[in-house]
Amino acid sequence: MARPTSPAAALAKELGSGADADPARCDAWTLAGILPALVARPADAAELAATVAAAGACGAALVPLGRGAHRGLGHPPARYDLALVTERLARVRDYTPADMTVTVEAGTTVAEIDALLACEGQWLPIEPPLPEATTVGGLLAADLAGPLAASQGRARDFVIGVEVATAAGVLARAGGRVVKNVAGYDLMKLVIGSLGTLAVVTEVTFKVRPRPETRRALVFRAHDVAAALGVAAAVAAAETGALAVVAGADADGARVLVRLGGVAADVAAAAARLVAIAGGAGAELEHDDAETHPRIAALLARTRDFPARAGGDVVVRFAVLPSRLPALASALARAVTDIAGWRVDALRGTLYAALQAEHPAEALAACAGVAGRHEAHLVVERWPLVLAPSIAVWHPIPTAFPLMQRMKRALDPTGVFAGGRFVGGL
Amino acid sequence: MSTTIALPDALTQDLAVIVGSDGIVNEIAALTVYECDGYTAERAVPQLVVLPRTTAEVSTVLRAAHRAGVPFVPRGAGTGLSGGCLAAPAPLVVCTSRMRTIRAIDVANRRIVAEAGVVNADVSRAVRAAGLQYVPDPSSQNACTIGGNVAENSGGPHTLKYGVTTNHLLGVELVLPDGEVVTLGDAVDDGLGYDLTGVVCGAEGTMGIVTAATLRLLPLPEGVTTMLAVFATVADATATVSAIIAAGIVPAALEMMDRTIVAAVEAAFRFGFPTDAGAVLIIEIDGAVAGLDATATRIEALCHAHRASRVTRAADEAERAALWKARKRAFGAVGRLAPSYCTQDGVVPRTRLPEILTRIEAASARHGLRIGNVFHAGDGNIHPIILYDQRDPAETARALAAGREILEACLELGGSVTGEHGIGVEKLRELGLSFGPDDLALMRRVRDVFDPDGRANPGKVFPTPGICVEQRAPGRRAAL
Repeated sequence: MARPTSPAAALAKELGSGADADPARCDAWTLAGILPALVARPADAAELAATVAAAGACGAALVPLGRGAHRGLGHPPARYDLALVTERLARVRDYTPADMTVTVEAGTTVAEIDALLACEGQWLPIEPPLPEATTVGGLLAADLAGPLAASQGRARDFVIGVEVATAAGVLARAGGRVVKNVAGYDLMKLVIGSLGTLAVVTEVTFKVRPRPETRRALVFRAHDVAAALGVAAAVAAAETGALAVVAGADADGARVLVRLGGVAADVAAAAARLVAIAGGAGAELEHDDAETHPRIAALLARTRDFPARAGGDVVVRFAVLPSRLPALASALARAVTDIAGWRVDALRGTLYAALQAEHPAEALAACAGVAGRHEAHLVVERWPLVLAPSIAVWHPIPTAFPLMQRMKRALDPTGVFAGGRFVGGL
Repeated sequence: MSTTIALPDALTQDLAVIVGSDGIVNEIAALTVYECDGYTAERAVPQLVVLPRTTAEVSTVLRAAHRAGVPFVPRGAGTGLSGGCLAAPAPLVVCTSRMRTIRAIDVANRRIVAEAGVVNADVSRAVRAAGLQYVPDPSSQNACTIGGNVAENSGGPHTLKYGVTTNHLLGVELVLPDGEVVTLGDAVDDGLGYDLTGVVCGAEGTMGIVTAATLRLLPLPEGVTTMLAVFATVADATATVSAIIAAGIVPAALEMMDRTIVAAVEAAFRFGFPTDAGAVLIIEIDGAVAGLDATATRIEALCHAHRASRVTRAADEAERAALWKARKRAFGAVGRLAPSYCTQDGVVPRTRLPEILTRIEAASARHGLRIGNVFHAGDGNIHPIILYDQRDPAETARALAAGREILEACLELGGSVTGEHGIGVEKLRELGLSFGPDDLALMRRVRDVFDPDGRANPGKVFPTPGICVEQRAPGRRAAL
């Protein structure tokens, strides 16, 4: 009996010129050290759906990718025959500023949308790391968020419609282009944060906001990360209407960054209060200026990009009730000694730590222990390849995990969307 | 009896044991209360209503129904407006209105865990002293419950700035149709795994029964300014709405009432609205006190630039409350104008508001019916109220036809057939116009994950062949 053709070989034949098997170009899409056999860059949603259908028919496994900037997130794929790259789906489908909605293809980058909206005095206040390299599809798949998440919302609060390619290679829609809509199920929520394991997003409609008339940032210096957290907590509790309160520390010292936005009178009043509150909490005002000021802009970008650019071979993210942040941080500092940098979003309860760990497995076990004791979620955003065989990226496994497994089986019965990359191996 | 599925006697007896004799409604007079919700055009008297007190009781009830193969209808306060808790074809109603415990309040982290039967307004009342509020405020907020709000993804006037229920929902306790209790999401604002909370919200009870919800609270705004602007024409009022949005202002609420509604409200409540006005806008802004006055002044200038004949600010909390009372009771007031009315819940992109209003006028003229308009203008969410006489079958048919035409016009203009009332049984046909077969197939596959036997609120959202319910004319109750 002839040896059956491998799924990748069958798919290469099926896709013909629609896929690229050149190892050099496949190498650019390596995931956790695993090379795809093929890369496909469909030109539009229909071609993308057909590619998914072909992969399914061949029994191949694919991973949807935008620009690959955040592809380090997730477990190594169990199989990786095809990198399905959405970068050519980069058209703006509709933008009517007066409706405050924008519809774009999944390969459009967050920076492109920001530039488009800025022309009309509008914004999509989601600030993922590396916006120039982050596509809308990636933003949704990884549910990327930034320092503004607590005050402005996350992707789930802005996405009002999607088109996806299902595992069967069929295009399906949910939601629409209006800001208020309860017709049919909210499948936007299902695909956001599912890391491409249920469907491939091809088109997204966002509702957007007016850009605040004034945006200003105050930077305070603190002795150390614990002091910075104390200041951040005091500021967060004071209801100043801040857009973001971020405590950070690295080799350059510890700081608290407070961002304000709105009408000028509100911002001025809030800034005056902040200086008093932070001063009372023992911090020293280092800088106070418009967000466009070069020094402030550079600090904002560095803060935003911290999860992606921080030094260290391990980056972890904790999500916890905001009131428990100081306790979590001090427990972490005791449990893990090699922390090279911190970013703490005080309003939201998010703590990033970059570790230069000599023994990464032990450090991650310690992190998981700290998370468990503080009822926190832990996501290992970056980890050294040496841990690939055993890495568990998400902790804890949610109690509704069996229902999630059923969802995965129902929407991806043949496992075309590379299994194992998501929580608990979904 | 108009339902199609019979309830076995043995199950009735089992359920009585589970919830106790005071948790059972089985006499015809009492059951009639449950024959419909706020959508009264279709009615079906349930065979049995059970009122469990705890999640464990809900679970045991659903386990028993599962063993007997009997479908069920989840119900809260019954204030829904699309027939989402119509007891057909399922004969059994599981009503969560006795589950009224607020399980936990976390002021520091602004979270609350409320059981399904907690009344919406009571959530805000419970945290007001701590300076917090639960923002989604449907007009029925003094009656409607959190369980129903989650099922319908309810909105309200203040969703323009703050979003709808799903934007304030962190997690739910859900009893699956086989009785299994699952916890989706938690108090931490960061998902782990698929966002099933977000999927269940707005699923209209077709995935099981939500028994408790973890909700996000927000601080009460430091200041609130509420304005009333009077215009000669709806067109001027609509242009003002667009101008306010274009100026980069996001009011907390931006509501419009047209001449017909203003006249009805004035006749009913005598708030002092000018009855010769073509339209009025209620504009509310909130936030830090420092900037409120300047924003209000900008809004007033925009109103005057669009020929407002009068713009006033509510002088105090009493005046503000009076304005909102007028707005939220507009539907009740319409009762004076005609023997019957029905309302629709379409949405259009904001820029298409003038067009949809023209289409509504055309439908009014074509069918010889008065149609009043009260709507969430800032969201493009319209609520045309079609006045008619249900004793006249021909006029009733014209009223229904006019409603359908308006919703179809919303779709043509790039909108939706429901902004906040849900599909229920009312808009099954319209859901089919909104989505294609592939879209609906994907939604059904998701539903099957939660409810493989299709026993959770069958016949809602997705059409099920063979439903037999009593079709009546659209009725009188409505609130939003």
